[in-house]
Amino acid sequence: MADTDARTVREEWGTRFGFLMAMLGAMVGSGNIWRMPYTTGQNGGGAFLVAYILLLFLIAIPGLMAETVLGSYTNRGVIGSFREVFGRGRAEGLGLVVVLVTVALMSYYAPIIGWTIYYAAHALLGTFFEAGFGPEAFWSSFSGSPLLTVGMHTIAVAAIAVVLAFGIKRGLERVVKWTIPILVLTMIVVAARGLTLPGAMDGLAFAFTPDWNYLVRGQTWIAALGQALFSTGLGWGIALTFGSYLRENDDVPLGGGIFTAVGNTAIGLLAIFVVFPVVFAFGLEPTAGSQLTFVSLVSVFPQMAGGPIWAILFFVGFLFAAFSTGIGVTEVAVTTVAEETRLDRTETVLAVSGVIWLLGIPSAYSAEFLGIMDFMFGNWGLPLATLLIIGTIGWKVGPERIRVLALNRNSDIHIGAWWDSLIKYVIPGVMVFIMAYYFVTNVGASTFRTVGGLVLMGALLAGAVLLMGSVRRGGSEPTETDTALGDD
Amino acid sequence: MVASVALVVLVLSASGWLVMLGAIAVLWVPAVWALYRSLSDEDRKLELLDEQGEIDTYSPRALAELREWVESNPEDPLAEEGKERYNDCVEILQRVDETFYDRSDKEIDSLEKL
Repeated sequence: MADTDARTVREEWGTRFGFLMAMLGAMVGSGNIWRMPYTTGQNGGGAFLVAYILLLFLIAIPGLMAETVLGSYTNRGVIGSFREVFGRGRAEGLGLVVVLVTVALMSYYAPIIGWTIYYAAHALLGTFFEAGFGPEAFWSSFSGSPLLTVGMHTIAVAAIAVVLAFGIKRGLERVVKWTIPILVLTMIVVAARGLTLPGAMDGLAFAFTPDWNYLVRGQTWIAALGQALFSTGLGWGIALTFGSYLRENDDVPLGGGIFTAVGNTAIGLLAIFVVFPVVFAFGLEPTAGSQLTFVSLVSVFPQMAGGPIWAILFFVGFLFAAFSTGIGVTEVAVTTVAEETRLDRTETVLAVSGVIWLLGIPSAYSAEFLGIMDFMFGNWGLPLATLLIIGTIGWKVGPERIRVLALNRNSDIHIGAWWDSLIKYVIPGVMVFIMAYYFVTNVGASTFRTVGGLVLMGALLAGAVLLMGSVRRGGSEPTETDTALGDD
Repeated sequence: MVASVALVVLVLSASGWLVMLGAIAVLWVPAVWALYRSLSDEDRKLELLDEQGEIDTYSPRALAELREWVESNPEDPLAEEGKERYNDCVEILQRVDETFYDRSDKEIDSLEKL
């Protein structure tokens, strides 16, 4: 392996705290705030939490360890890591697929970050407290104005680009070291306020009272699986990319695995304390998703004593959650493109941000298009990316090899042989199952989107593999160094 | 006051309280513990690196596993790298005064390079 050479030129995290906050920031997103609470309430409350926590420990934590250690071991971004495993050639296309999926994800997530910027700005301006303010009309006028939605999308992409242009240590790390602790503090403060509202405990009763019958329903476990996989960002290339910037003596299992997954879920739990007391105290609809955040909650802040403060804390915290995810996801493509091309960091950031901005315009313009993108890439693209990364570690690298050589090196905790079968069989099996389940449950109701999504992912996979094969045809043959990691 | 507190307590059933407190215990406690442990281990590593310039890279259990794996898989393309990593760790252990992982002098003396 050529890791020694790579380390001398490659940027590294400045502090352990910076790495931990970056991992947490990338994984904690808007879904933790608007999805986790109602998914919990809809699926048997406490029973869902039990299922979710079990799956978190069984799948998300070991999976994140695997993804982080691959990056840490190869010291490469996504395509470079696949090259270290498979050698130069078509198989690098598998890494390209992961990068393309993250770019697609960012193309429709950036407009959402734009929404949070808009609402945080108006919370600071006190707009929600002006006489005659109507939250629904405000949301409609915003979401119905392409100038505003595309404009906020542009601001979101530009802000992310500015942060990333400064690099890992001076850009990304410097931002998340402040935003994530502030996010947690604001959530604690808002939760404390919510819990003192009359009727707040009904919200907690809805969220936590277990209906154990839900534990024998397949839907509960599917929802728990979806939440455990998607809210932790397992297999999206983020943990791999961030792992590649770890220092030589850094641990992987405790920070990259346990802290990231458990910390992310702990914030999701905190979101339940933030959202449900307010929802029940003011008789709102708990399953309203993004509408809950941008319409319902906006309507209750003026009714609360000290409302402007709570609105600022909530929306600034929400902005930090969404923004930190945005910079994490974009960094996956930035790291890889910088490594695979002759562009320098600034040029790469401009190129990647430009592509994301351009691809994101339809999602910023039309909420329906955003929904289609979310359906296709959320249901098929992200599980495919997870399957490619974890499947590669499980079946090509070999979990025992990477665990013995790299995962337990400089580790703060010891990971035993139990981990090997989880990576080789359980996680890939679960990913195949969840994709098959989504197909079966969606193909009847939305045939076009479901089949279209699968065809799109198939085309993406085939196109990326053929493209890399074609690009590498004139290149060198695989060397021993290139493929040593993949000869398990 | 007592009545209102009792009302608040009663709104949530016993099983609801159990799940809520259990969720806090299995999520927030490990998260805070992992953060604390990770940061304190980092401090310890940096302190040892400042003092000695190097630290042992594998725990006793991990080092024993590495040795076993190298011996069981001599033909593996990464066996040589495994051997180097094992030997590096043994050499560091024999050079340094203080180790990062808990080890007795007897244990260190008994280690042999591959």
